[in-house]
Amino acid sequence: MRIVDGEGWRDVDLDGLRVGVWMPAAEAVRIVPAVTARARSVKVFQDAPVWVAPVPVRIPTVARLHLRLTVRDTWTRRLLTPGRFGGRDVIVSRSYYRALQRSNCKLITWPVYAVVTQGVRTAEGIEHRVDVLITPDPVRKALAA
Amino acid sequence: MTYDFEAMLQTIKDKQWSLADIDWDAPGAETMTDELRAKMRPFMADLVWIEHVGARGFASLATKAPTPVVKEIYEYFHAEEQKHANAELALMKRWGMLDEDGQMPEPNINVKMAIKVLDTYGDNLPLTGLAALIPLLECALDGALVKFLLDEVSDPVCHEVFRHINSDEARHITVDFQVLELIGAGPLHKTLIESASLLHPQVVLGLIVVFVPLINKMRDNIVAMGLSEQKLYNAVKRYSSIGGRGEFTRRLPAYHVLRTQASMVINRSHPYHRFLADPLVKVTSFVPARLLGRPQAWVDEVTHEPIAS
Ligand SMILES: [Fe+2]
Ligand SMILES: [Fe+2]
Repeated sequence: MRIVDGEGWRDVDLDGLRVGVWMPAAEAVRIVPAVTARARSVKVFQDAPVWVAPVPVRIPTVARLHLRLTVRDTWTRRLLTPGRFGGRDVIVSRSYYRALQRSNCKLITWPVYAVVTQGVRTAEGIEHRVDVLITPDPVRKALAA
Repeated sequence: MTYDFEAMLQTIKDKQWSLADIDWDAPGAETMTDELRAKMRPFMADLVWIEHVGARGFASLATKAPTPVVKEIYEYFHAEEQKHANAELALMKRWGMLDEDGQMPEPNINVKMAIKVLDTYGDNLPLTGLAALIPLLECALDGALVKFLLDEVSDPVCHEVFRHINSDEARHITVDFQVLELIGAGPLHKTLIESASLLHPQVVLGLIVVFVPLINKMRDNIVAMGLSEQKLYNAVKRYSSIGGRGEFTRRLPAYHVLRTQASMVINRSHPYHRFLADPLVKVTSFVPARLLGRPQAWVDEVTHEPIAS
């Protein structure tokens, strides 16, 4: 498995590859749409969700409505709803939720507890195999050490 | 003298394990005889569903955790209960208890009703009710069901899996009761308001109709399989003795209600059975599953495959 950071993935040919995205949600929102368009399959490991709105507004109600209208599955909506300790920031994206619902993309909210040679292990006891893992630079450096 | 939830969270992270750590093809599966397989299959199916529904319970608790650290602990517990369900399904597969497609066994109507209630009200139930219910179920699971399983089955892989599960459960029970202490130590008016909201007739009725027959059916099934009633009794005693040891837990009405109900459940000669539980088991057996509609997508997430690619 190759580990690249939040910018480095742009230099990697993702065609036909299984890709994991383990980034803070605010950054995952930026890159997941482009990654799902190129990779064979994508797993998005989400630590905590953020509010997402299609237009630059700072009103959570708009984000809530956006979520309600674009994500059809009730349980997935629940996984994408920030909790009461979550931030109030709203990230702008029109394509994030659509990308998450593509058939080659899976949202995983189980806590990641280890990165192993072939993938990511999460607390529900499963090892998720990927060819490329996109993660923030400090994490990448820590894993390489 | 407050409990160190942060240290507990770190321990939980350090103790993580994976289905991939287990050699599912190791020798020992042959100890599962045809007779034992037939007897244990329904038990294992119930067990997987209890873990899976328990996982959903922790998901609800996480949305109303009193602090961010407790929230993160609950998120881990949500995942760990899912892991227990996954590992137990993998044991079922190892023992030839699943059909070709390896699907989860269908839950009975009472489990389906519990799923429906959790989907509909789970995230709105007040913290105290759920926080008091979960340790009761965990005491019963840990003290009675799992002990029964390990007495019946000698497969070393099963015992290896349950060494992990039991060590997880010991942490769950510790945290469950520490959270009750934390809530009980809060301002009295707050615990009373919370408890009063548990008493909305709709909620009370829903909980009775769903959980009373669910628990009774399991109780009777398991006793019929040979679980001694003494084990059930010990499990409930553990619930009241750990809760009673705490300084503040006894201030929570929900704790007392559940403790009383549990002692009625284990005592088969109590009128509770004749007048409430047995009739409800009968009535709910006539509820057509299609009335409940499709459950939310989490019910499809259990897997016996250690590796997902
Ligand atoms: Fe469990
Ligand atoms: Fe547990």
